[in-house]
Amino acid sequence: MVLRIRLARFGNKHNPFFNIVVAQARSARGAKPLEVIGTYNPIPKRPTNLYEENANARPYKEIALDRSRAKYWLGVGAQPSDPVWKLMSMAGLVAPKPTTFDKA
Amino acid sequence: MAPRIQSRSVSNTLLPYLTSTSSSSSTTSVPSLFSTPSQCLSRQFSATAAPQTKLRRQMFEWLSTEGAALKHHIPGETNYLTRLKQRGGSDGPDSRRPFPNNQNFISEPILSEELRNEVYNRVVTKGQSVRVVSVDLGIDMQRIAAVVRLVELEQRQRKQGKPLALPYARAIHEMVPTTPLAEQGERQQFHEPINDLPAHPLTGTQIFYPVPESRSFTRVEAGRVFSAAPAMEHSEAGAISHPSDLAEKIIENPNATGWVGKGDNRRQILQPADVRIPHPHLVSLERDRITNPKERLAVADAHAKRLERQDAAEKRRRERAAARREQMQTIVSPEESRFDYRIKDTVYTAETTGKDGRAPWAIGRRYGVPHRDRTRGEVKIPTRVDA
Amino acid sequence: MRNRASNTLSKGKIRQSWSKYNLYNLQRFRSPPTTNRTFFQQKWSAKAVSRAYHGEQVREGQWKRMFNHRIRSVIPMNASDLAADDGSLASAGRGSGLETKDGDATYQNRRIPYTHMAFAPLERRLDVAIFRALFASSARQARQFVIHGAVTVNGQKMRHPSYLLNPGDLFQVEPDRVMFATGTPKDKAERREGRLAQRKPEGEEESKEAEEEKVEEESKETPKEDTKETLKALMQQAKSIMSSGKDTLPAKRKQELRGFQKAVRRVLSRSASSTVLTDSLEAQFSELTLLLNAKRAEKKPEKKDEKKDKRRSDDDAVASKGDEDVEVSSKLSEAFEQAAQGNDVDASELDDEEFDTLKRALVQMRDNPIDNTKPYATPWRPRDYMSAFTFIPRYLEVNQNICAAVYLRHPVARPGSAEVPTPFGESVATPAYGWYLRRRW
Repeated sequence: MVLRIRLARFGNKHNPFFNIVVAQARSARGAKPLEVIGTYNPIPKRPTNLYEENANARPYKEIALDRSRAKYWLGVGAQPSDPVWKLMSMAGLVAPKPTTFDKA
Repeated sequence: MAPRIQSRSVSNTLLPYLTSTSSSSSTTSVPSLFSTPSQCLSRQFSATAAPQTKLRRQMFEWLSTEGAALKHHIPGETNYLTRLKQRGGSDGPDSRRPFPNNQNFISEPILSEELRNEVYNRVVTKGQSVRVVSVDLGIDMQRIAAVVRLVELEQRQRKQGKPLALPYARAIHEMVPTTPLAEQGERQQFHEPINDLPAHPLTGTQIFYPVPESRSFTRVEAGRVFSAAPAMEHSEAGAISHPSDLAEKIIENPNATGWVGKGDNRRQILQPADVRIPHPHLVSLERDRITNPKERLAVADAHAKRLERQDAAEKRRRERAAARREQMQTIVSPEESRFDYRIKDTVYTAETTGKDGRAPWAIGRRYGVPHRDRTRGEVKIPTRVDA
Repeated sequence: MRNRASNTLSKGKIRQSWSKYNLYNLQRFRSPPTTNRTFFQQKWSAKAVSRAYHGEQVREGQWKRMFNHRIRSVIPMNASDLAADDGSLASAGRGSGLETKDGDATYQNRRIPYTHMAFAPLERRLDVAIFRALFASSARQARQFVIHGAVTVNGQKMRHPSYLLNPGDLFQVEPDRVMFATGTPKDKAERREGRLAQRKPEGEEESKEAEEEKVEEESKETPKEDTKETLKALMQQAKSIMSSGKDTLPAKRKQELRGFQKAVRRVLSRSASSTVLTDSLEAQFSELTLLLNAKRAEKKPEKKDEKKDKRRSDDDAVASKGDEDVEVSSKLSEAFEQAAQGNDVDASELDDEEFDTLKRALVQMRDNPIDNTKPYATPWRPRDYMSAFTFIPRYLEVNQNICAAVYLRHPVARPGSAEVPTPFGESVATPAYGWYLRRRW
């Protein structure tokens, strides 16, 4: 059985919210995972225009992640799914996934 | 929802029945005291009765006679209903009460434009601390922070050429009492009391607490009694000559207040007023003045030094907190993405998520717990907006 | 939600509104009678009367959930009192404090009006706070502004009128809405003008251009002697604009303003430096003030002498004041003429006050222009009977220029005063508070 680090969707219609979970690859999306190691909010938030320095700031998305647990699970062979790979590469836990374009 | 409170539609429907003076259709009429209300009824060639109720007629009568004084504002003065009610002098404390029945509400002065700019100049241009400006001008510290924010926003909007409501602002400043900025060399009039002590819920109870007559029972001890903390040791109590001694210690280190209770009942011991007021350093200054009434300069010097020390301590604390926050969060801005990603470090252990991983304070959405987001009584709209 | 907040005269309820009906109701309001009525009845009617004012847009159940029997209060402390006494005096003797000669003079014995604060939680609502900051003429209108997306909280659009403000929140309403809410409404003719302007904006522009051309022609036609007259008239117009208060008819006022605008344009068209008729008011304003400033700078060293001169002339010529006025204005006009021709001006002939008047008139013209496209009567004037309702409570800090305010803290009671604005006295506030103290749900 393969362990996967993947996203589990919560939230409501048009208002997604994800837990970053470690689960058996064949288990259901909404099933109870082995462990929750973080959250990801894909709805971008806009910095307020109240301050001068925010004038050209980009909208941001929020990620919460337990780095030590993530490292542990990666060490025992858990495989991140593509979206989680992207998030983890931004956190500096894994190398960015090579795209097909790069391979060629 | 249509705006109902519009005198426009009302006065239009009345126009055939009323003369321009009593209809108060603001744009065409002149406020006049001479118009007689009987004019309203003079529709000589009409057979139908005017659809005016008695109350309505009375209202327009009042508006054209007594109420006419309220129609336009008097620049530099308040023009409230209370002024009409008390026949005699227009000035006095009563002229500041908007509601005739409510003795306890008065229209408090607002900051004048010049004073507002002065506050901004002192804080931003001259770099004075908020605490010092607050004591100098007699303005609450929260208000000073707000003024700085608002003036900054105004300057930015002016620069961007956004629309402003200048005639409106001028009119409001004419209607409402204002605190002016003192002329050069004059004493600045204080805007509001700055040392307000909030009443603590713990002090609401009545407690019977016998104390030997020979012992002096101070505010510090009273606070301990209110929060059900054991009395201080004699040596500890002896070290405190005055409650304001505690203030400095606590400003340096806010965790120096003791704690009582265990688990969920753990709470801070209620501190004396000298600690809980916004400007505890003023009490220390007064004490210095009482002890050394003749050495004014030395007292002022010591006070300035104390302020500096306290400001530095507070600044250090704030910086430490900011650094901690910074450390918890990394911001990644990938080139190819339109977004920044704010990655926050969290810890998922039994303490943070509960033994079964379902603790209500755990980060992330939980499993096996029913959603309460649609139940009655839950707040479903945002409870805060981050600035 | 259906709006039941009518200002009917027969019911005589007081609302959060600046309407004249409400003013009349406020004027004739008497507290409900208490004789021959049970305590329950007293509380019931007090509750009914005060709920009609406080948060009538909030359902009763919602409000009951918000109500809190604990009321925030503060005591203003005196630093010297605190320094003089460490609290042992109050507990000395047999525990009731040592008796002083002046009795209880050291302690404030004004009562804290707790029950006036019963509806304090409602003041946290966004719509109520907008009304309290004088950005809307009624709480209902404030609510509409929020729902229509004209309000931001901390720079983000907030569409929930029931949002509860937290201390430090900054809320802002679009200035145009505020001007609409607080300004005099348009009359029939003005609305028609606005409609026409909306219907064919192109035609409007044409007519504008035509007008300008006419002005230009005029300026070409008018011989040199007339410039003096024009400038004199300009000054007089400026004066009349500044002086005319509420007594003048709005229509007449508007005519004056239009005339003034035209005159300014004419002057500008003649000045050598100006790039022919500047279209926007801003440009006109900067042009004219530039002229004025240039002259002022030259004049400054001579200011003192001039003042002396003026005083002297004031002394001997009180009777011939009218003549002097004319003289002064003619001086100004001459100077203007010179400026228009591009020469240096001997500014010592000019009066400070004259400058001030003209400058103020110009500023007013720039800040408060005639604009048919606005939803309120222009130039903006405060609406009738507004002053009877204008006060800003202490827990808000308002910047009227940008129509923004900060909710500083929750309202508090202090000895002798309560910060929640309520039109009712003790005899209503206390039973109403009592009504909600008992849990009936």
